[in-house]
Amino acid sequence: MTLPRQILLLYRKDLRVEVRKKESLIAMAFFGVLIMVILNLAAGLDRRLQAEPAAGILWVAILFSSVLGLGRVFAREKENNCVAALLVSPLSPGALFAAKALVNFTLMSFSELVLVPVFFALFGAGLQPGLPVLLLLLALVNLGFSAAGTLLSALAAGTRRNEVMLPILLYPLCLPLVALAVKSTGAAFGGRPLTEIRDLIESMAAFGLIYAAVGYLLFSHAVREV
Amino acid sequence: MLKRFDPFAVLALVAIPGAVATVFFYAPLERTMGVVQKIFYFHLGLAAAAFLSFFVACVAGVLYLVQRQRVRDEQCAAAVEVGVLFTTLVLLTGSIWGRPIWNTWWTWDPRLTTSLILWFIFAGCLILRGAVEQEEKRAVFCAVMAIVGFVDVPVVFLSARRWRSIHPTVIRSEGIALEPAMIVTLAVSLFAMLILWAALFRLRCSIQRQENTLLDLQQQLQR
Repeated sequence: MTLPRQILLLYRKDLRVEVRKKESLIAMAFFGVLIMVILNLAAGLDRRLQAEPAAGILWVAILFSSVLGLGRVFAREKENNCVAALLVSPLSPGALFAAKALVNFTLMSFSELVLVPVFFALFGAGLQPGLPVLLLLLALVNLGFSAAGTLLSALAAGTRRNEVMLPILLYPLCLPLVALAVKSTGAAFGGRPLTEIRDLIESMAAFGLIYAAVGYLLFSHAVREV
Repeated sequence: MLKRFDPFAVLALVAIPGAVATVFFYAPLERTMGVVQKIFYFHLGLAAAAFLSFFVACVAGVLYLVQRQRVRDEQCAAAVEVGVLFTTLVLLTGSIWGRPIWNTWWTWDPRLTTSLILWFIFAGCLILRGAVEQEEKRAVFCAVMAIVGFVDVPVVFLSARRWRSIHPTVIRSEGIALEPAMIVTLAVSLFAMLILWAALFRLRCSIQRQENTLLDLQQQLQR
């Protein structure tokens, strides 16, 4: 089987499990909205937010809720030792990484379909985002976070304290991505043009590509030990 | 085998007091900052050794994944541990210097931010080591984490350039305009810190090796 077909097979398998059980998406969207409400209380009720703190709230909600789904996608394979079954099957570990990263990307995108409209309903007054810019930024963060997160969720799943380890390992690594995302989204919310945040966008793309490559290379080592 | 006297440890025993003496008795007093400036010599040496440590951890991690030799894991673990220790000291000495000079313990300067994020990543790596019991799994996970963490450095620095750049009080080129005597002092203390790093690194490697040998013996006894 060619690599793209392997990836597609695994991707469809994971999505089917998610569609039937609906365990990740509901939790992610629910938790994300909850975080936004909490941050609204923390920032002070009825205050009009500046563009950059608003961007910070959006990204905190998205990234903290995503880690719930990220952990599940891999931990699910540990039940009944499905990892071993996947490894003895004629699928390459690289395909496994790509498929899992795609699943994480998809889950994040779907939860953002809920979180972004809710964000604008709660905090949107006075923000002027361009939809294409926002979509580009969401896609870049999803790429970076799902690539790094897929690799690290394999590590976390191998430890006894899966739910604790994943955020501890993942968030420090993704701090630069968060910083870039908040800066660029803040600029976009402030109505500034795309050319002004070009170097930020390039750095975010670099982050995504670096971790996609590193993950693809290292995943086979990590997954054999899970 | 464990040697009673590690040559680097003996050398460090001379070099560190030597560096302290040079800093306090040979180096001239800085005009505006006064005695506070002297911490800079240690700070820079520690920072260089810390970055070297993380680089060594990354290389040892790659070599472990390729060769699967136990000694590489010992080196990777030792480098991560000593690196975290040195980065902690870098952050502490920097804060102590920054309080009287910048009038703040902390500012979001690119270098400070990069060091802090590195500290978080590699401290996480230590926590990860503590969370896994099987030896080979722990070694692979630690190697992966050391590589992934070091790969983050350029991106961190790239992002930190734009991060809270409103702070204008940052002094960027500390090392450019120095008195010749200060440069000599800096070289001495840099050398001393690298020797200390090597001594600690080798010591930690040998402890790790002994732990592994002990585990092997226990397993043989159980059989």
